[in-house]
Amino acid sequence: MSTPTESILNIGRTDDETALPAESFIVKYPTVARVVRVCFAYAFVALAVGGLFGVIQALHRTNVIRVIDSADYYTLLTAHGVFLAIVFTIFFLAGVFAWANTRSLERPPLNPRFTWLWVGTMSAGTLLSGGSILAGLVAEIDVSADVLFTFYAPLQAHPLFYIGLALFVVGTWLAGIDWFRQYLDWRADNPDERIPLQSFMVLTTMLMWYLSTLGVAIEVVVFLIPWSLGLMPAPTPLLTRTLFWFFGHPVVYFWLMPAYLMWYTVLPKLSGGRLFSDPLARVVFVLFLLLSTPVGIHHQYLDPGIAEGFKFIAMTNTMFLLLPSLLTAFTVVASVEHGARQNGGEGYFGWLTALPWRDPAFTGMMLAGLMFAAGGFSGMVNAGMNINYLVHNTIWVPGHFHLTVGTAVALTFMAAAYWLVPRVTGRALYSRPIGLFQVVLWFIGMTFMSAAMHRGGLAGIPRRTAEPEYSKFTFEAVVGTISSLRLQIAFGGVLLFVSLVIFLANIALTAANNEPATGLKTDLPPALSGPEQSPQVLDELKLWAIIAIVLVILAYSLPLWSIINGAGFYQDGITASPQVVQPVLEVLI
Amino acid sequence: MHVHNYEKLWLLASLALIVGFISTIVYGAVGAGVVMVNDEGGQVNASGLSEHPEFNDPGVRKVGPNEYEAYVVAQQFAFSPDPIEVPANSTVTFYVTSRDVVHGFEVAGTNANAMVVPGEVSKMTVEFNETDEYGVVCNEYCGQAHHDMAGEVIVKEPGNFTLDDAGESTTAQATNGTDETANGTGES
Amino acid sequence: MVEAEAGSETPADVQAPDAYADGTLVRDPEVENPLGQEDFDPKGTLALLLVYFIILTLMWTFMYYVEFLGNGPTVIG
Ligand code: HEM
Ligand SMILES: [Cu+2]
Ligand SMILES: [Cu+2]
Repeated sequence: MSTPTESILNIGRTDDETALPAESFIVKYPTVARVVRVCFAYAFVALAVGGLFGVIQALHRTNVIRVIDSADYYTLLTAHGVFLAIVFTIFFLAGVFAWANTRSLERPPLNPRFTWLWVGTMSAGTLLSGGSILAGLVAEIDVSADVLFTFYAPLQAHPLFYIGLALFVVGTWLAGIDWFRQYLDWRADNPDERIPLQSFMVLTTMLMWYLSTLGVAIEVVVFLIPWSLGLMPAPTPLLTRTLFWFFGHPVVYFWLMPAYLMWYTVLPKLSGGRLFSDPLARVVFVLFLLLSTPVGIHHQYLDPGIAEGFKFIAMTNTMFLLLPSLLTAFTVVASVEHGARQNGGEGYFGWLTALPWRDPAFTGMMLAGLMFAAGGFSGMVNAGMNINYLVHNTIWVPGHFHLTVGTAVALTFMAAAYWLVPRVTGRALYSRPIGLFQVVLWFIGMTFMSAAMHRGGLAGIPRRTAEPEYSKFTFEAVVGTISSLRLQIAFGGVLLFVSLVIFLANIALTAANNEPATGLKTDLPPALSGPEQSPQVLDELKLWAIIAIVLVILAYSLPLWSIINGAGFYQDGITASPQVVQPVLEVLI
Repeated sequence: MHVHNYEKLWLLASLALIVGFISTIVYGAVGAGVVMVNDEGGQVNASGLSEHPEFNDPGVRKVGPNEYEAYVVAQQFAFSPDPIEVPANSTVTFYVTSRDVVHGFEVAGTNANAMVVPGEVSKMTVEFNETDEYGVVCNEYCGQAHHDMAGEVIVKEPGNFTLDDAGESTTAQATNGTDETANGTGES
Repeated sequence: MVEAEAGSETPADVQAPDAYADGTLVRDPEVENPLGQEDFDPKGTLALLLVYFIILTLMWTFMYYVEFLGNGPTVIG
């Protein structure tokens, strides 16, 4: 029996090598399987640490159990945000995309060294940023980054935090290059074929990512790193906020797209059906490429210094961005229904019983999708410009995104892991019933935590706050009492944490399982309505990229120009941020 | 392109939903008169607030019959003035800015809520019709004692209301708000 | 673990040897009672989504007109 680490790092053949068929992913592409294992390992370590901090926060801010100082709350919150919303999500994405691109193009990346280069760059970035956040908990080390995962100026982090972030993003860019080279290699052999669907999803998502990370790259490289090194004055806060949100909205689709990839391409198979429509899947990904970025100002509805007209434009774009998700709801549910009908399902709703609910991968993804439907609603409220006054920066907002990224994405990833980990380790899943229990527990925990957060937000309770109340006044809940809301948040948080521990244990035991995975032969079924039923122009990636750029220029040039014109690039005299580097430089020079 | 009829129907329903949302929001703006915080407040020099004609002395001024202006400065970890006192049946325009980092200004349990960004002035006009006491929360993380940053808005019986500093309540100039700032960078 | 056991409640598991491979229900729809593009109308999906549509409309109306517009004071200038 090998340890989990060994089986993650070593090529995961089980003792019984003959059990793995020649056409299984792990045998065909051992290096890629290994890359996926390493990406997943990073993702799950980040999930473990981030989840631990999550439950500490949930118990602390509701005053149920306190193990930290309120002043340290924000260090944990920064770590929770960065580890979960950036490291966990994006490393998992990298694993899924490496698998999907290779599987659907039927060839490994051209140069494994290049692949390890991006894995290494992302790892180095993670260690630098993560390390500088956690150093904030150790008084002896003069490094901290208590700036939350939104890190706008003038709150300042240690330069290592920003440098780590920059490296991490560069790593993702290199990964994208790797996947594009894989595609071009395939294209050379298949000049007239339609891009295989999974690869199409990978490529459009990466194009969206290149466009949207421009904002954060400029923010970090041009402003935050030189400023934190003491080389430049503080940048204008509004400018850094705007550059951050240029990236901050599309990043949510970057989290979501690997989940959509699983829903479109794997979930139909799990249900026993076929993808309902390949053409619409393509349309949806193109719409995300076009519309994800020119909407970021919707996070700044309540910012001064931005004209209402710009906010209105961002609002209409955002509302149209609902379209691809609403279309996804139809296509994915119809694909599952197709499975149910083939299983003998009947009636308008009765077919729902003819589905493999005992499969944790299936049930996890379905529950994730259900929560996404609910999170979609609270997102519509957030997006609604003037109604945003009601909820902005209240705890409603974490209530919302724990449904979306915290469940639609995270639970889909966990469910996907139950299906993918056997494919990239060659080992059978340790326990399916435990997996099933785990995904259901997550759903229940999140129902408690998120619903209470939404209601707390309507009572005006702010997000990102260590204390449950203020000395000067009390909050009033519309229904129920504030203290019962607090208990529900704490209780839900504990259930979520228990679910998380079970998940990690199940995966670790799988990695150490000597029983070989079976059934690796089977492939993903073709779509009911195949790519040949869609216009060729959908595959014109260059065209869509150009339109996406034009839309971004239209949406952002005037607002950015007016901010720079009004407030300028730099702002003097802001002294309240922790000056970490200046003293160091003074000593050195 | 092949699209199933049911999916076409759903596409139409989705578009109807989207157009419906946008129309509601337009109604909120035009019919109900909800205005977004915007660039009208202009800019200030965050480090020069003590030279600013208004923010040098944060407080409430009377600018017309039942019309007031409240100049509020947010800084780690307090609002000034605190409490902000205004009479009932009045229209109050808040001008809020920050001396240091980004803060929030949320009158808890109401729809008066804005970001407070150094260098910018958040301008919000609100009607207070009844006497009441509201908490003001800083809802944007601003540093280690963020959770202690709160204030109050007290809406008083008009009969009991006096301005502490009546000399401040000049009319004509003050309505220009912050358009003219200490260092002349302002323009709206 | 016994792969074929865990899902035995669904009618679908009387399948080829590969059913429930690696913990996954696997069918080859081309082989047994395949339901093709022409014969399949996703009426269940449409029904579910219409229910969702109604919920969204009602909740939106409630949130906007009751929770939001009823929550004054509101910024009017
Ligand atoms: C064990 C499960 C989890 C628990 C108990 C939990 C709990 C919490 C709590 C209590 C907050 C802080 C609310 C505040 O003070 O504003 C929070 C914030 C947050 N959570 Fe979670 N969470 C969990 C899992 C996740 C997952 C899986 C993700 C994403 C993949 C996630 C993403 C976030 C983000 C992005 C924030 C906001 C951080 C910020 O405001 O800067 N959480 N979570
Ligand atoms: Cu957004
Ligand atoms: Cu604060």
